[in-house]
Amino acid sequence: MRAIFLILVAAATLAIVSTVFGGGYAINIAIVVCIYVILASSLDIVMGWTGLFSFAHAAFLGIGAYTAAILGRDFGTTFWLNLPLGMIVAGLFGFLLGLPLLRAQGHFLAIMTIAFQTIVYLVLSQWTDFTGGQYGIEVEPVAGFTTLSSYFYLVLVIAVICLIAIRFLTQSRLGDALQAIRDDETLARTIGMNTKAVKLVALAISSAFAGGAGVLLAYHIRGVTPDDYTVLASASIVAMVVLGGRGRFWGPVLGAVLLTALPEMLSILTDYKHIFYGGVLILVTMFAPQGLAGKFSRWRAR
Amino acid sequence: MILFQQFLANGVVVGSSYVLVALGLTLIFGILKIVNFAHGEFYMLGGYVAVVGTQVLGIGPLPSIVLVIVVMVMLGWFIERAIFVPIAKKDPTNVIIASFGLSILLQNIVLKIAGPEPMLARSGLPRGAIQIGNIFLTSERLAIVALAAVTVTALLVVLKYTWIGLSLRAMSENATVARICGINVRRVGVVTFAIGAALAGLAGALMATVFTVQPNAGSLIVMKAFVIVVLAGMGSIEGAIIAGLALGIVESLVTGYLGNGLRDIVGFIFVMGVLTIRPQGLFGIQTDRS
Repeated sequence: MRAIFLILVAAATLAIVSTVFGGGYAINIAIVVCIYVILASSLDIVMGWTGLFSFAHAAFLGIGAYTAAILGRDFGTTFWLNLPLGMIVAGLFGFLLGLPLLRAQGHFLAIMTIAFQTIVYLVLSQWTDFTGGQYGIEVEPVAGFTTLSSYFYLVLVIAVICLIAIRFLTQSRLGDALQAIRDDETLARTIGMNTKAVKLVALAISSAFAGGAGVLLAYHIRGVTPDDYTVLASASIVAMVVLGGRGRFWGPVLGAVLLTALPEMLSILTDYKHIFYGGVLILVTMFAPQGLAGKFSRWRAR
Repeated sequence: MILFQQFLANGVVVGSSYVLVALGLTLIFGILKIVNFAHGEFYMLGGYVAVVGTQVLGIGPLPSIVLVIVVMVMLGWFIERAIFVPIAKKDPTNVIIASFGLSILLQNIVLKIAGPEPMLARSGLPRGAIQIGNIFLTSERLAIVALAAVTVTALLVVLKYTWIGLSLRAMSENATVARICGINVRRVGVVTFAIGAALAGLAGALMATVFTVQPNAGSLIVMKAFVIVVLAGMGSIEGAIIAGLALGIVESLVTGYLGNGLRDIVGFIFVMGVLTIRPQGLFGIQTDRS
C-alpha cells in the first residue's frame, strides 16, 4: 500500500511541478517521462524479475504505435479503442515471439530478441503500402484532449494505472514465480512449476504494456515513423532499467525519469544525448551493476 | 543465366566482407564467450580510418590498410582490458549491456566528429569494370575479394601453426582444461579480441572504397555477423567462411529476383527459424544446469 501511496504522491508532484513551473516545453518532457516510465517498468518485468534479456522492447512499442496509427487511418477508430487494441496486438506478438524465444538459452535468447527487433524495424520501414515506409503515418490528436496539458493529465493517469498494475503483478504469486525462475530455473521446474508458461505470460504482459506506451507516444508526437522504433530505442530503455536498478520497483522508474529528463534539462547534454546513454550503460555496468536503487538499498542496509 | 552469374559475383563481394566481420565475431563470441555488439562499430571505425588515411593524410591504399590494422588492434586491446575484463569479472551477463553502450557511444562520437554524410575511401585503383567471362566487376570489388581471401588464409595459417592459434583452439574446445595445461587465458583473450577488432576494421576499410562509410554503417552488419556465427556454430572458423559467403550470395539473389526491400530481412528470418528448431544453435549441445 505504501508503494501505491508513493506513486500517487510522485504523480501529483510531477503534475504540479510541470504545470506551475513550466510552459509547454516542460509539459512535453513530462509526457515523455510518463511514457518511458511505463516502458522501463514493463521491460523490468522480463529483465529484472524474470532474468530474460530483451532488446526488443522498442519493437513492441512500435507495434502498439503502428496498430493505433493503422487502425485510425483505415477504420477511423478512436483512441479509446486503439489503446486496448494496441496493447492486445503487442501482447499477442510478445506471446508469439515467446514461443520460439523461450526455447533458446542464454546468449541465443538475446540474439533472437535483436533479430526480432530488426525484423520489425525492417518491416515498418520497407512495407510502404501498409506502414507508410520512411514517411510513416499521421495520427490525429485524441478528441477532447487536444491541448498539451489535457493530454498530459490523460497520460499521467494511464501511467499511474500501469504502475499500480505492475506493482500488484510483481507482488503477486506470479511475481514470486518469476523471481524463482530468475534465481534458478531448473530448481523451479523441479518443484513442479510450469516455467515456460509463466515466462510466456510475463513476456506477453510486458509487451502489452509497451504496446500501450506506443499508442500514447503515437498520439503525443501525432504520427509514427520507423526510426523511433530502432534497436537504439530498445537499448535506451535497457539503459533506463540498468541505471535505475533491475528487479526493484522504483529502479526503472528512477532510471526512466533520470535518463529522459536530465538530457533535456542540461541543454549541453541534448546534443550529446546518445553519447550520454552509451557512457551511462558502460559506467553503470562497471561500477554499479545493481543500479542506483541497488546502491541505495545497500546504503540503507548499512 | 548471365544475370545469375552477375548476382553470384556481387554476392561473393559482399559475402567476403561478412566473412571477415563474422570471423572476428566467432573468435570473440565462440571462444571468449563475450557477446560484443560493438563489433559493428569496429567495422565502421575501420572504414573511417581508411578515409582518414587515403583522403586526409594522403598515404596510399596499402599504408592505409596497415594503419587500419594497427589502430584497430590498439583499440581492441584497450577496450578488452579497460571495459570487458573488469565487467566480466563481476557479472558476465552485464557484458552484453556494456557492449551495447559502447556501440551507441562509438556511433554517436563518430557522428559528432564526421557528420552523417557517407564518406568514400580512395582505393587508388584504375577506374572501370573488368570483364571475367560474362560478369563485370570493378577493380575495387575484385580487390575486396582478393584481400579477404589473403586475410582468411593468413588467419587459418596462424590458427594452425602458431602458439596463439594452438591456445585458441584449445580454449574453444575446453577453456578450463586449457587453463590447467598452462595456457595464459587472459593473454589469449586480449590477443583474440585485438585480432577480431582488426578483422572487422579491415572489412570496413575495404567496403568503404565501394559502398562508402557512415556512422551507423556497423549496426546492421553486426546483426548479420551474429546470424552467421549462430548458423555456422560458435567458434567454427570454416563454418563462418561458408555461412558468410552463403549469406552474401543469398542476399544478392534475393535483391536481384525478389527486390531490394527483402534483402536485409532474409538472414534474420532464417536465424529465427533455425533457433526455433534448434534453440542451442546449429551445432550446440543443450545443457541444463542448476
